[in-house]
Amino acid sequence: MNDLELLDDLLAHPSTWAEAPPDLEDVVVWAVADAAAPMATSSRMPHRRRRVASLFAVAAMLAVAVVVGSVVLIGSSSKVDYAGKLRATGLAPGAHASVAITRTDAGFRVRLDARRLPPLEHGEFYEAWMKDPAGTLVPIGTFSSSDGRVTLWSGVSPDDFPTLTITIEPSDNNQASSGQRVLMGDVHRR
Amino acid sequence: MVYAVAHRVLGSHDLAEEATQQTFVRAWQAADRIDVDRDPAAWLATISKRSAIDIYRREARRPKRALADVAADDPALVTLPPDPATLDAVWHVRGAINELPDAEATIVRLQHLDGLTHQEIAERLGLALGTVKSRSHRAHQRLAAVLGHLREAPA
Repeated sequence: MNDLELLDDLLAHPSTWAEAPPDLEDVVVWAVADAAAPMATSSRMPHRRRRVASLFAVAAMLAVAVVVGSVVLIGSSSKVDYAGKLRATGLAPGAHASVAITRTDAGFRVRLDARRLPPLEHGEFYEAWMKDPAGTLVPIGTFSSSDGRVTLWSGVSPDDFPTLTITIEPSDNNQASSGQRVLMGDVHRR
Repeated sequence: MVYAVAHRVLGSHDLAEEATQQTFVRAWQAADRIDVDRDPAAWLATISKRSAIDIYRREARRPKRALADVAADDPALVTLPPDPATLDAVWHVRGAINELPDAEATIVRLQHLDGLTHQEIAERLGLALGTVKSRSHRAHQRLAAVLGHLREAPA
């Protein structure tokens, strides 16, 4: 096959034009992040490996962005069913987060990537909530990382509880929300 | 590009997604073996092909229905993945398509994938025939340059 025939053949093949689904970038980023987590925290990782690995993480994400073309987030072994961005409130200027939710047999897996949350005082923790349009709050988990990824679980559907909020809670034996919201935003079906 | 190569090997969106994911995880895991003096795209292309072919082989080992039960046009009857040279070409051509201006890429797609004539493309897009011809010409010149690059590449 000469060059022109090969080019014609390639251009006529659907695979050459195949577009990756929009959420694949998020699938890949999460999968790489999952694979990277144990390595990134290893104190035995050689300096060169850490440097190259860091460079690769950036390169991989850029490459995926090029490959996939469009945007957003997901879980390591399945597609994202809902996704959204959370914006900072006045209590946490500069904070932001992305959320990707996957429906599973056990419930809704909520992957939260929160950045630059305000530091916690002793005895405080972050709590995530799903909220419906009537204002009913359902807690979906607590965490203490002010900068990074956490996985939470929700027993209620984002179809009914589309708003996600993050609050700072004191350890005071009061299960109600403190009202100290630091992040909030809606998730949308993908 | 990774996805297009995987799709060419596997012929399935779901499996192509899996191969794409696996490609980047493998690349991450092999990050310490990157030769920073070489083109990382070629390195990623190699991992991409291997990941897709591994999944292809895995799928080929799955129990299949009796051949007599399979329709003549069943894609499962395609038993061999494309050769590595073809996959290299897919990688490069897809990369070149990604670099084309949208207007030119659309014309190339309509011409080759949908099999439309220049006149039909002009009518479909509401463009003058001369505009379609000139954009098509420019696009094909760029794509031909990509194949020239392939010809010079080491085997």
